[in-house]
Amino acid sequence: MRTTLAIAATLIATAAHAETFTWAGNTDPQTMDPHAVNSAPVLGFLNNVYEGLVRRGKDMTIEPALATSWEPIGDGEGWRFILRQGVKFHGGQEFTAEDVIFSYERASSEQADTSSWFAPVSEVNMVDDYTVDILTTAPNPIFPDSIANWMIMDAGWAAENGAERPAKDAENYATLNANGTAAFQLVERQPGLKTVLEPFAEWWGDAEHNITRTEFTPIQNSATAVAALLSGDVDMINPVPIQDAGRIASRDGVKVIQGIEARVIMLGFPHQAAELKYGADAGQPNPFADAKVRQAVAHAVNVPAILQTIMRGNAEAASQLVSPAMRGYSSGLAERPAYDVEGAKALLAEAGYADGFSFGLKCPNDRYLNDEAVCQAITGMLAQIGLKAELDAMPVRNYWPELREDNFDMYLLGWSPGTFDAEHPIRFLASTPNEEKKLGSWNFGDYSNARVDELLPMIQSEIDDAKRQGMLDEVTQILQEETAYVPLYVQPLVWGAQENIELTQRPDDFFILRWVTVN
Amino acid sequence: MLAYIIRRVFQSLVVLLVVGLVAFSMFRFVGDPIDNMLGQERTQADVERLRTQLGLDQPFPVQYYKFLEQAVQGNFGISYRQSRPVSEIIAERAPATLELAAVSGLFALGLGIGLGVFTAIRRDGIASNLIMSLSLVGVSLPTFLIGILLIYVFSVELDWLPSFGRGETVAVGGWTTGFLTPSGLKALILPAITLGLYQMTLIMRLVRSEMLEVLRQDYIRFARARGLREKSVNFRHALKNTLVPVITVTGLQLGAIIAFAIITETVFQWPGVGLLFINAIQFVDIPVMAAYLMLISVMFVGINLIVDLLYFAIDPRLRIDGRH
Amino acid sequence: MTDFPLPSATKRPSRFKTAWDSDFAYAFRKSPVAIISATMVFLLMAAAVFAPLIAPFNPFDPASLNLMNGFTPPSEANAFTGDSFLMGTDDQGRDVFSTILYGMRISLFVGFAAVLFALVLGVTLGLIAGYVGGWTETLIMRIADVQLTFPSILVAMLITGVAKGFTPVEYRDQLAIVVLIVAIGLSDWVQFARVVRGATLVERNKEYVQAARLIGRSGPAIMVRHILPNVLSPVLVIATISLALAIIAEATLSFLGVGAPPTQPSLGTLIRIGQDYLFSGEWWILFFPAVTLLALALSVNLLGDWLRDALNPRLR
Repeated sequence: MRTTLAIAATLIATAAHAETFTWAGNTDPQTMDPHAVNSAPVLGFLNNVYEGLVRRGKDMTIEPALATSWEPIGDGEGWRFILRQGVKFHGGQEFTAEDVIFSYERASSEQADTSSWFAPVSEVNMVDDYTVDILTTAPNPIFPDSIANWMIMDAGWAAENGAERPAKDAENYATLNANGTAAFQLVERQPGLKTVLEPFAEWWGDAEHNITRTEFTPIQNSATAVAALLSGDVDMINPVPIQDAGRIASRDGVKVIQGIEARVIMLGFPHQAAELKYGADAGQPNPFADAKVRQAVAHAVNVPAILQTIMRGNAEAASQLVSPAMRGYSSGLAERPAYDVEGAKALLAEAGYADGFSFGLKCPNDRYLNDEAVCQAITGMLAQIGLKAELDAMPVRNYWPELREDNFDMYLLGWSPGTFDAEHPIRFLASTPNEEKKLGSWNFGDYSNARVDELLPMIQSEIDDAKRQGMLDEVTQILQEETAYVPLYVQPLVWGAQENIELTQRPDDFFILRWVTVN
Repeated sequence: MLAYIIRRVFQSLVVLLVVGLVAFSMFRFVGDPIDNMLGQERTQADVERLRTQLGLDQPFPVQYYKFLEQAVQGNFGISYRQSRPVSEIIAERAPATLELAAVSGLFALGLGIGLGVFTAIRRDGIASNLIMSLSLVGVSLPTFLIGILLIYVFSVELDWLPSFGRGETVAVGGWTTGFLTPSGLKALILPAITLGLYQMTLIMRLVRSEMLEVLRQDYIRFARARGLREKSVNFRHALKNTLVPVITVTGLQLGAIIAFAIITETVFQWPGVGLLFINAIQFVDIPVMAAYLMLISVMFVGINLIVDLLYFAIDPRLRIDGRH
Repeated sequence: MTDFPLPSATKRPSRFKTAWDSDFAYAFRKSPVAIISATMVFLLMAAAVFAPLIAPFNPFDPASLNLMNGFTPPSEANAFTGDSFLMGTDDQGRDVFSTILYGMRISLFVGFAAVLFALVLGVTLGLIAGYVGGWTETLIMRIADVQLTFPSILVAMLITGVAKGFTPVEYRDQLAIVVLIVAIGLSDWVQFARVVRGATLVERNKEYVQAARLIGRSGPAIMVRHILPNVLSPVLVIATISLALAIIAEATLSFLGVGAPPTQPSLGTLIRIGQDYLFSGEWWILFFPAVTLLALALSVNLLGDWLRDALNPRLR
């Protein structure tokens, strides 16, 4: 009986195939729980199923979602959100302030990976069924921007199914099931195999898409993903390997959608280490403590050549820790150090390293686009000024522990600000590391500058945009003058799709289904 | 006999424990699972808390003991990445691998025996020499490249077969099968060829050399002399006698097929346990890695045990040997 | 006692000698496949050994590379630099021809070293297991079972991890090759051990061994002097085929991310890199290394195949 039913279901599915939109990504969202994991594949996927109080539009600006409006309370005490009325969850439940309070408690709980978003929050109060006050410990002008991925779950549904808290070490109903308010609802979930979504008929918004059913499949091997697109087995893939972009673009029936991602790729240095750790000069005093040496590196790396060949002209050079698309970008400081071998050699000589030295360069080989090839190219370029880099490329599962243990003389890092604001990398990469204050947690090289540390809290609480930008510019200038990092380029976003698919690519690499049209 | 079996089973259990121990002691070198489980905004306190929660702060013998205690009851813990019971995940993924292994095993066996017989009978023919040499081409390129080339030719250029996955599957009880739908059957072709090519070559060569050997034996000559038809001599007598070693080798290779399905599954995005294992390594999902290895060990050790016991039953000389 | 006639022992060298002097050499001369594949193996090995003399560039020297030369098609001038390369260049601007020659060195080195490692380990353990028997045998063969359980990919990853844990920080970069050799060797020794053990079990009960034992020869001496020569031909066949397998295995491990580093690529690493360009039109980055690997592995395989037939007197 069960078999017959299943076969019948298969037949129906095959018949409906014409309207089904299938797409493939290289990572399966590991859970359907919006608070369990703070990673782009999960949050990007779940943005189609769950919604937050606010959401990001096609150009990344914040726009109303489950909240129709919001305003500051008093003199920076917090924010008041007015909730949308008549919104239904996929299970039919009414959306109210109670769900917001519950979702705050859930997402900020110890078990949640998203709890850091709520570090500035002191309390959340329900004013009435459709009004919520979120109070912050200090004035926080960018708070609404920082919660676009905080998704609201139905309180009753979670309680019924024992999913009041996310869990990492136990089974949880919310891991395989979802109950959000967004334009699509979860119909079928087979982890690592496929995830099926269908439009939610009672969604509060106006549908811009014409999809009746969608199916997501992870395909890890990039060549297989490209083959799947070219053979028409899927309608869209993300990402397209950068070298295949040209071919796909020129082929009939398929197209490439390109953009610039939020992620800046940069080189980092050990600022406080006493000695070099790798290569023939291991044990010698650390030359990278000298800003001149770091500047020499900045001038020696031929970024245009990397963009031209390895990135195939798809990426843009970077001058600072954030890309121009981010809020708070310092547009007056957009120039990056020129490629200048002689200048670099002169700087090395000035620093007392005219004959160069050898050191170890650490690099991931499965984290960023063509990361290993970029490191290899950098090794060659540094060799031109007498810096002999011993390249050690490894999978990311070994990479972070290695960096955390300070096992590097130079390293490659990519940073994508979760808040889409220039404050984010200052907090994580440029502040003196301080476990208690949760500062500098990814500042592996222990870069430290008193003025930067002083400016950060001021930036965080400044309401006036111009004053805030002035302080951000000052930090950027300091980082550039001291060459704290060498920003290289902004990573490109390359998606591939069948010719008849219209879609919108957002710089955070989130694929939003409600902007998809199948012609 | 009984004493031998008991001792042999006991040895197998020891092997399993050793496999578990070796694997377990080395997992920590694969990478740090915690790093993969927390996002970029985590703090050191989060890391410590999760480490304690997962029991990773305990000494390794304690971790191993706990793992064994649970594993004996069929509980392999919760996957770090998927937050679901490992036994459930493996049960979901196993049908894909087993079906692929079965089809590629049949492909290897069928074509291997057929071509083996052919090349043995027409020993000096041009066709059989060509087959012998061509079969080596298949084992002279890495599997992943063969898979990708097959995809390129048959999915992208010719558009005959799907490039990835299992196609539509049908659930029969807890088992998902691709045998009942046209797309499921089509999806099996390329991965099965990729996976079975090596074993096919192996079996073909084995059948050929065994056949050549048997065909020289006196009773075959005698059968020919008696005027039996060539076909009957070749198939009824000669082939029958070559099958024992062939089946033994195939049995041993079945384990190898499943173990090496890892690469084929990665290339074709085949949702089996091999792909699961590769993912587990990528994300340092220790419970999944441990369970996978234990299962593979049970299978290998089981097959070995059965083969040994069969030999023991067939060959009386080994009985004296077994008394040591 | 000392002048006790040892029929098998006196017959043995002559059998070996005859095979080598007449039949074997004759069979070789008569087989075009054997001649061609042996020539091919010889040429490729020579090319690898003399790579520094033949190759126009040294692809392992990062300072000599110009990134702007990247993706130059074979025998065409680069659009930016005007340089031209026989087989084109890869993504780093490396000359593909030179890289293949140097890469083949690494592949062959890893292959030979891994097979040697497996051979020594497998033959030793197989001899001991077969000759000594008892608990020793049980132990060795059960270890072989454990070994078979581990896919070589996992062995490689575990060894990498362990080695990283134990080696001083500054030597880690050179580890990859050693890890490959040990990983491939470890997954291969069982074959040798099984064959040698089986053959030893048979030989052990033969009169000449019993006679040698009677005259008081020590265990190791008997194993090495009397039993070993009798199992050499299957070992030689397995070794040849293992060499081809090891070269392929190295390529597979590269695909899974535990192969030779891209700064010192083997043929396998080159193919792994090249497969990224299968759809993008830069066919030469995959094609030339793949054809070289195919030629190498195929001719070694053909040679091994022929050896098996030639050394098996029953098939002649």
